[in-house]
Amino acid sequence: MRLSDASVVIRPRTAWEAMDLGVLMAREYRLLLMSSWALVSLPVFALLTALLWDHPSIALFVFWWLKPAFDRLPLYILSKALFGETPSIKQAVRHWPRLLKSQLLLSLTWRRLSLSRSFVLPVSQLEGLGGQARQQRLGVLLQRNAGAARWLTIIGVHLEIGLWFGCMAMFYLFIPDQVESDWDWQRLALAAGSDWLWLEHLTHAFYALILVFWEPIYIACGFSLYLNRRTVLEAWDLELVFRRLRQRLSSVAPLLLLVVGLMLIHASPQVMADDSNARTQLSTQAASQSVKTVLEQPPFKNPETVTRYRFGDEKPAAKNKAHGDGKLPAWLQSLLDSLNSNTFKHVGQGLEILLWSLVIGLLALLVWRYRDWLRAFVGRRPQRSPKIVKPAPAQLFGLELGIETLPEDIASTAEQLWPTQPREALGLLYRGLLSRLLHDYHLPLKSADTEGQVLERVHQLQQPHLLAFSDELTRHWQNLAYGHLLPPVSAQQKLCSDWRALFRSGAAQ
Amino acid sequence: MSDFPAAMAPTTDSLQHASAQAQALRVELRKAVIGQDQVIDDVLTALIAGGHVLLEGVPGLGKTLLVRALARCFGGDFARIQFTPDLMPSDVTGHAVYDLHTEQFKLRKGPLFTHLLLADEINRAPAKTQAALLEAMQERQVTLEGEALPIGQPFMVLATQNPIEQEGTYPLPEAELDRFMLKVRMDYPDAQQELDMVREVTRSSRADMLDVQPLRTVLQAQDVLQLQQIASELALDEQVLDYAVRLARATRTWPGLAIGAGPRASIALVRGARARALLRGGEFVTPDDIKGCALAVLRHRVRIAPELDIDGLEVDQVLKQLLDQIPAPRQ
Repeated sequence: MRLSDASVVIRPRTAWEAMDLGVLMAREYRLLLMSSWALVSLPVFALLTALLWDHPSIALFVFWWLKPAFDRLPLYILSKALFGETPSIKQAVRHWPRLLKSQLLLSLTWRRLSLSRSFVLPVSQLEGLGGQARQQRLGVLLQRNAGAARWLTIIGVHLEIGLWFGCMAMFYLFIPDQVESDWDWQRLALAAGSDWLWLEHLTHAFYALILVFWEPIYIACGFSLYLNRRTVLEAWDLELVFRRLRQRLSSVAPLLLLVVGLMLIHASPQVMADDSNARTQLSTQAASQSVKTVLEQPPFKNPETVTRYRFGDEKPAAKNKAHGDGKLPAWLQSLLDSLNSNTFKHVGQGLEILLWSLVIGLLALLVWRYRDWLRAFVGRRPQRSPKIVKPAPAQLFGLELGIETLPEDIASTAEQLWPTQPREALGLLYRGLLSRLLHDYHLPLKSADTEGQVLERVHQLQQPHLLAFSDELTRHWQNLAYGHLLPPVSAQQKLCSDWRALFRSGAAQ
Repeated sequence: MSDFPAAMAPTTDSLQHASAQAQALRVELRKAVIGQDQVIDDVLTALIAGGHVLLEGVPGLGKTLLVRALARCFGGDFARIQFTPDLMPSDVTGHAVYDLHTEQFKLRKGPLFTHLLLADEINRAPAKTQAALLEAMQERQVTLEGEALPIGQPFMVLATQNPIEQEGTYPLPEAELDRFMLKVRMDYPDAQQELDMVREVTRSSRADMLDVQPLRTVLQAQDVLQLQQIASELALDEQVLDYAVRLARATRTWPGLAIGAGPRASIALVRGARARALLRGGEFVTPDDIKGCALAVLRHRVRIAPELDIDGLEVDQVLKQLLDQIPAPRQ
């Protein structure tokens, strides 16, 4: 790296000025930066879209997540171009796979969401630092300008979103009136069938195009921030001035040295002659005395009176430590010692964990408290994937429906119960039916379904025997539960035998 | 198990008779109004429960026809008021006129004194005229010249309104909406039913309306009162009552609804369910009856939250969501 070859003026700038320089740099090489970015990122986007055609949101999310991998290319180009070795598009794109080798996984995992991503990218990519060395380097670099780097990312996010919406709005304005008037927006938003997947992919493609424009600028701004920070830290500008000075003076240096030497020779005797008398009169003691008085005065000594509060008497403790003979009891001393040591670090960490878990718990409580609200306003979109099988409710309408809560042989148990507790017997049969419908026929019964709605669902199964049995059982059950009418004895026999015929044979199959 | 008190339950014979009458009325109405079975059921529910109905639908779905057919099948008096912006309260309730011969004021009763009142396009009249109906609907009496005059029983108001033409209309105030037991939405009939309807109507002698003359009178005013009496005595389990009240109460805390339904809604739910049970031929009320009339009972008594309204959701959608989440009773 030769600073004198740099194509920009290196001088300390404010953070915003530095970012402005980044925008200038991006403008200078816009064609190269944007076309190389597009060449690298758009095929990946197309591939993701093709692979995840049914899940447009996931495709966009993966693409967005991969941004740091693409970011390395503009940084490489800019770092080369800074010193005048601007690569061609072909060279740059060909070099890209090599750029990905170092620390790609880290930058795609926990460093992905760092707000100063573009600012610290040069540390790992250009300086090649990793691990402890990188941490130290970042510690130094991030002392200043870190805030500006974060703001850069935040502004970038808003700019991306703004441009993205702008693109969509423009697209919408270009749709002819007669096409647009056919659109039913509500259906579009709620149903979101496969017919409209292409529209979603199209809007995502807008995002990919926005990135082609914005991401090189973002990286360039981060890079210029990084350059500025190093300029300040390592005084690059002074180094440049000195180098330039040396270059300019290298030819005249011998002559200059000669002139200066001659002048010194000529001048020095005069100076010595002036106060030679005073010097000889000084004795050694007087000299050391005067040295002492000088040392007692500023700038060598600056006595200051500080008034502050102090915890107890600190000096005796220190003395005790030194002497070892206890004016203080040993336990107090050990306590005081342990207060200074690392013992309480763990207690502090424990407290930290406790506080964090408290915060997380409070958030969970908040979500639980407003679950109705969330269900009404957030979770209103229809569920896309019918594949997810909801676990069958264990309890429906206040009745236990789990298989394990029902007796093995429902019909026999009902027969036994009938003479003494007809209500329980019929209830058992009805529960058994609902349980079978839930577990064997996988009917999506809800606790809000009334008996009539359950029957309707059974009707949809198109099994005449099951329907006839359910119909009769439901009728008797309703008569008993809501009409308080006992079913006739004949019905008991019929229901139990029907139950056996229906579910025994079903089990045997 | 606790049996219902014997005195409460109507005898099986009278119940079957009443149920047969109600079903005969339904059959007659279905001959006249084709493709609106659900609406016919709702109107009959209100008739049996002794409530009033607000019919809403775009023009040409047979709202007025339905009411005229009902008046024809039911032997009572029928009056019709076409609500217009210049209609005055006295045009509805009646007023005192000066008789030159006797030199005295005589009360002249308005069209309100009838059994079946069709208030056509009720939202076209200003609020004061709409309010003239309030007393009649709730207390079944009209105060004229300081004298409270009772209206004959049964009394039922069927008001119609048109949801699309809102220019120059006066939306009904909440207090008046609450007086209507049911708000019934009329929708377009199915393709097959529309075919049948067009075939029937074009065969009729009148220009564009089905002739209601051939319909036979099934009920007299007295029979309707008896039907109402029997329906109000139908057995109702505590659990079912609890379900109705839970439904009405849920609308008050439901996040998608800005204003919930009052206690009148619970009352209307139970009365409507009893009427539906009678119409079904049942001897007792089931949760299905409650759920069946819940939409019509609740939709005009609640107000949807503004956020959902902006999102383009309808009250019915929110209410269906509610009905899908309130557990039905089981014992």
